[in-house]
Amino acid sequence: MLSLFKRYRELLIVGALLIYPLVTYLSSGHRGREPNVVDRAVLFVSAPVQRLLTGGIESTRGGVDGYIALRGARDERDRCVADLSATRADLNAMHEAKAENERLRAALGYTETTLEPELAARVIGVNASPHYISLRINRGEGDGVRVGMPVLTHDGVVGQVSRFVVGGAADVMLITDPGSRLGAIVQRSRVRATAVGAGGGAPLKLDNVLHGDDVVDGDVLITSGTDGLFPKGLVIGKVQKVTREANAMFLNAEIAPAADLRRLEEVLLLPSTLAVVLPTTPEVKR
Amino acid sequence: MRFAATVGLALLFLSIESVVTRQLGLEVTRLDVTLALVVFLGLRAATLEGAFGAFAIGYLVDVFTGRPTGLFPFLAVLTFLLTRMLSSFVDARARGLFALLCGASALVHGLLAAFFSWLTSPSGGGTIISLTGLPLQALLCAVSAALLWPLLRKLDPANERPQAGMLR
Repeated sequence: MLSLFKRYRELLIVGALLIYPLVTYLSSGHRGREPNVVDRAVLFVSAPVQRLLTGGIESTRGGVDGYIALRGARDERDRCVADLSATRADLNAMHEAKAENERLRAALGYTETTLEPELAARVIGVNASPHYISLRINRGEGDGVRVGMPVLTHDGVVGQVSRFVVGGAADVMLITDPGSRLGAIVQRSRVRATAVGAGGGAPLKLDNVLHGDDVVDGDVLITSGTDGLFPKGLVIGKVQKVTREANAMFLNAEIAPAADLRRLEEVLLLPSTLAVVLPTTPEVKR
Repeated sequence: MRFAATVGLALLFLSIESVVTRQLGLEVTRLDVTLALVVFLGLRAATLEGAFGAFAIGYLVDVFTGRPTGLFPFLAVLTFLLTRMLSSFVDARARGLFALLCGASALVHGLLAAFFSWLTSPSGGGTIISLTGLPLQALLCAVSAALLWPLLRKLDPANERPQAGMLR
């Protein structure tokens, strides 16, 4: 037996190196991996390198952009002053509307509760494969990040935290990843849908929308809040290329993400349920 | 020593790649620099050393992607073995031929990755789209391999020879 092993040692070892990962992959399916000790050591080494490179590139770019920005700065200042005046007027109107809203809310007996504040993070890297779309941020478990936390920018939804990395970082699965699914509503017609990632940087797919449902090109899609992760009302993107095939039960459509996922620099992380609005009394006060 | 250097280089390349890809905003296609290392091992390393090296590189790619375990180590060892078989017929000791081989490996690697992703994906989504970026990915891999050639040669100075040829 031992002599047989010695004879075919090379073949057996190479065969094991080939078969073992294949079996592991096929048995684990499409599930993600939880980092083990070796993974953590690798990520611990790579995270500072990524931070260093990101910092170096961004400070160089900042310096160049700052120099270029000086050209025409006076004209821009004048434009900004004019814009600021207009914005202040708008802000005053909004303060009035907010105060009125709060008065009406109090009259109806509703209270708004914010569970946790949102967390800002910087994107320090993207993954190395075109088949799985994720990026790495510089906030980890120690900063209050939790797996499943929604990630967004001021433009719209970006994705959700998929795992932690040792060294104060975490990976975010983008909404364009083939494994991503979001509960959604068409803002105009309130039709319920699922936004499914298509991978490869392509637009998302609109799923589970019946052939006759009211959805047209340009409709804004927002989160429905029914998936237990994303709060209701966050912008996912715009519906495009709506097609209805004859005899099909569901219509086909794409969703262009509202957030520019190719140019992400800073993102916000929300607790799973950012704000809940609870009625304090069952009946409306008269 | 060469094993450690190869793995160290792969780790460095992956760290740099993840940052540079983000800065350039490449979403559809990615530059798989580590594939050049696997092909180089297939051409120059002994079977066991190369297989372990390829496995380690694939493992690193797996860790960096953070998604299903085992796909990239399997593909890296398979690419290594295919390159090793090919090296019996073609002597890719010239920069151009090495780059060509890396480009071809990127195509095969990409096709296999897409196939296995489709095999385990619940809906098969994204497979066709990820294939559209494959030619550009192969081209970028070939270019990066040509650029890395002088550095990789330093990993294996013993096997250098002045005249490069197609046939042994």
